Amino acid sequence: MGNVLEVKDLCKTYIINKRQNNVLKNVNFTVHDGEMVAVMGPSGSGKSTLLYTVSGMDDITAGKVFFGGRDMSGLSEKELADMRLDEMGFIFQQMYMLKNLTVLDNIILPACQSKKNKAGKKEKVQYGQDLMRKLGIIEVADNDINEVSGGQLQRACICRSLMNHPRMIFADEPTGALNRTSSDEVMQELMKINDEGTTVMLVTHDVKVAAKCTRVMYIVDGSIKGEYKIGRCENAGQLRERERILNNWLMELGW
Amino acid sequence: MYAAILKKDLKRKKTMNIILLIFITLAVTFIASSVSNVISVTTALDSFFEKAGVPDYWLCTSGEEEADRLERFIESKNLKMFRQDLLQIEPKNVLINGKEFDYSNTVTLSDIKHTVNLFDKNNKKITKVNDGEIYVTAEIYSRFDLHEGDNIEIKVNGATKKFTLMGSTKDALFASPIMGMTRLLISTSDYKAMTGHDDVVIQSIGVFTDDVEKFTEDLFEGDFNTIFSNPQSTIKTTYIMDMVNAAVVLIVSICLILISLVILRFTIQFTMSEEFREIGVMKAIGIASRKIRSLYLVKYLAISIVGGGAGLVASIPFGRMLIENVSQNIIIPETENYLINIFCAVLVIGIVFLFGYLCTRRINKVTPMDALRSGERGIRYKRKGLLRLSRTRLTAVPFMALNDILSSFRRFGIMMVIFTLGVLLVIVPVNTINTLQSDKLVSLFSMASADHVLNRELMLNNDNKHKTEVENKLRDVKEMLEEKGMKADVFMEMMFRMNISLGEKKCSSLAFQGVGDVTADQYTYLEGSAPENKHEVGISRVIADKIGADIGDTVEINVGNEARKYTVTALFQTMNNMGEGIRFYQNEDLDYQYAAGSFATQIKYTDEPDNKELEHRKETLKTLFPEYKIYTLGEYLSYMMGDVAGQIQGTKQLILGVVICINLLVTVLMVKSFITKEKGQIGMMKAIGFRDTKLMLWQTMRIGIVMVVSVLIGTVLSAPISKLTAGQVFKIMGASTVEFDIVPLEVYVIYPLVILSTTILAAFLTARQLKKISASETSNIE
Repeated sequence: MGNVLEVKDLCKTYIINKRQNNVLKNVNFTVHDGEMVAVMGPSGSGKSTLLYTVSGMDDITAGKVFFGGRDMSGLSEKELADMRLDEMGFIFQQMYMLKNLTVLDNIILPACQSKKNKAGKKEKVQYGQDLMRKLGIIEVADNDINEVSGGQLQRACICRSLMNHPRMIFADEPTGALNRTSSDEVMQELMKINDEGTTVMLVTHDVKVAAKCTRVMYIVDGSIKGEYKIGRCENAGQLRERERILNNWLMELGW
Repeated sequence: MYAAILKKDLKRKKTMNIILLIFITLAVTFIASSVSNVISVTTALDSFFEKAGVPDYWLCTSGEEEADRLERFIESKNLKMFRQDLLQIEPKNVLINGKEFDYSNTVTLSDIKHTVNLFDKNNKKITKVNDGEIYVTAEIYSRFDLHEGDNIEIKVNGATKKFTLMGSTKDALFASPIMGMTRLLISTSDYKAMTGHDDVVIQSIGVFTDDVEKFTEDLFEGDFNTIFSNPQSTIKTTYIMDMVNAAVVLIVSICLILISLVILRFTIQFTMSEEFREIGVMKAIGIASRKIRSLYLVKYLAISIVGGGAGLVASIPFGRMLIENVSQNIIIPETENYLINIFCAVLVIGIVFLFGYLCTRRINKVTPMDALRSGERGIRYKRKGLLRLSRTRLTAVPFMALNDILSSFRRFGIMMVIFTLGVLLVIVPVNTINTLQSDKLVSLFSMASADHVLNRELMLNNDNKHKTEVENKLRDVKEMLEEKGMKADVFMEMMFRMNISLGEKKCSSLAFQGVGDVTADQYTYLEGSAPENKHEVGISRVIADKIGADIGDTVEINVGNEARKYTVTALFQTMNNMGEGIRFYQNEDLDYQYAAGSFATQIKYTDEPDNKELEHRKETLKTLFPEYKIYTLGEYLSYMMGDVAGQIQGTKQLILGVVICINLLVTVLMVKSFITKEKGQIGMMKAIGFRDTKLMLWQTMRIGIVMVVSVLIGTVLSAPISKLTAGQVFKIMGASTVEFDIVPLEVYVIYPLVILSTTILAAFLTARQLKKISASETSNIE
């Protein structure tokens, strides 16, 4: 099992009103192919910043980030954009989509933009529809984004993140704005995607969500305070037990 | 607390607030300067004529006896008058800084007595000219790029007198080149010293009367021979080109006012849509709608007062810059108290407040949730996208650009209106200038078509006393050409002033006869056929209307001292003397001692040379006739009109500059506004892998598409709009049907491309701003 993401001594510092704010301090970790990693931590601990920096959406102050063996600090803006387009997928807490486009158009947009994705327009549209069908939202394909529910929109965002067959999906609190039912549905989809081989790294506050991952990292004040490997969740029956174990572990770390 | 919210708001939404401030400043600058200019320009000519004391009727005659007879006639009517002698000199006898004065119209010398009030460039009345000093009209001053202190030498009666140029005059009688005469102003003693026995003197007589119509009728009965005889109203029409410039400034001003109002409304609506989320929050926590509304109104008032003040200051120099070209020949009344500007600034502040008031009206109606949804009302959302990416062949970037425009058509439609107005503002003057410089006006100047023109100012009554003399001269030219292997018809237009009548209706008109190798059927007529016999004439539409004549009528024309009857066989249009004209048959016997002047010698080659050969022949003519100026017909017409096209050219460049500046400002500010509003979307697109260049292209393409559509609409509309606007000017000058000379390369390619490329470049450069937006700013999305 190879490494998808390797982070070495990652630091991120903001200067606000001439005062230094070290958001990430010498963070080190590795994500292997096929893993589903959850990043947890209190508010302001640097979870989202970690996600944005390791995905190339934000620059780093010091350290190294390797994605698929390539040093991201050595890549130009263009190369980083291409990497995000072709090798990564993103899901945000808010269902960010372009207002003037329909749900299907929003989903196929990255594919239409990709040079690496050699499929024709018809095939791309077909693949987008297949994904929507798979995630149960095909009936809203031609709707405007303000005509669908939050859960449907978040599943549309998942579809969009999968359009270019990414190696890894980054998700920033993907269930944060959803109710429990929608949250469970979204997580089910992410687990399915992970089962099919796509690596997932997500930020969450929710132990129920984290319990569905294979590994959990706990971050406090910009440093990884602990890591817990809970392995793959084989069936729904295991979930309650995984949640309990995780809760205990988190309590030990001061959660 | 409100002050604190306001202060925070001004700071936090700096970009949008600054954009609004800039637009308000621009609106005040444009509106205040434009309204001030409109008032100044529309009253300028009347106030100038009043200041100058222009007579109600002005006559010029050549010959002391005729002038004495006229003077006695005017005295018998108990009318106030002035009489002044103008000494005619040949331009070749005038040296400016050692160089010959290259001027085709009549040049005269006069002192300051017994004429209208003359003013210097600073609009101060010239009360005295010292010995050795000289003034020229503003038109000559700028046309020949003269400077104060230049040396002018004038040779008259064998003696040469040196003068120092003191400056330019605003001379109400001779300001316009269309008058065909100019005056150099010298001291009385210099004038006396320069006159001699054999001088050619034009007597200028100004008459002041309350009943111009009655005086004109009486004058007609007196049967006087005049070179020029017209009421003040006709003299005013010679300022048509100044008025064209003024009209152009007026049109620009009105467009600027429209653009400003449109932009203001757009900006306020746009910024208000930005505020809705906050309004929702305030409503949700229980702040009353009235208070929320007052908060925003106070903010808009504060911004508009600052912008209004800045715009007021900027409007003064901007207004002066716009009006500068108009005021060369006439005195534009200056409003020193700037009350108009202040009024306009207050008006704009009021309009901003009103727009703000109307836009914030929605605050009362919407629920907190509607406001949080950025003003969308509940479940009745407006359908956003009109196109489908999944169903088009377009790639993502052009698709998004086009879809955005169609989805927010009102927003982009406003830009389209502004850009279209700009395109029209540039192309209409271009069409007018090209028409003025083209051969298409030949028929409108009572001339037949020709390849080249030999021009040399002929002294009135000093030459051409007999038709045979003119014919001999033309024959000499023809023979010289033939010797050089250039077979050509050589001819010339002789010009007379004659009285024409039909029954009780009478008037005075210019009359033309072609001499040499030209026949009356070589001229263009609107109706009927060319005069083919001695007792036949063609008359201009203006004259026909004046005396109520039509084709087939018999009119009476005073030829010298003899009244002859002619049958009208044709109607034509002319721009000579505001549409006056009579065309005689080429062999009609006319007494050339009554000739009022002539046009230049025209050459029409009969061996059909190509363009290259024509160029070559022009060079040959220069060596063959060194004392003449050689023109193409288009060049000669432009010269005759006193480089009117050159004057408009200046205005055109100013307009092009203004239009480009407006487009740049609108583009820069709008792209900035869009980027500010779409920050979150841009961040999201960056996050999913859109490169900066693609996003810049998306922003630029939207402006580009709008601009392309505007250019297309503008160019399509330019021809009819030219006819509607500039066509009216030609109509006033006597030409009701003018075929505009539209140069496709210039009108459909060069100018649209200049406007298009500068605007798109501005959009692209402004779009670079989105580089600063990081993908992690996705959280700013609404």
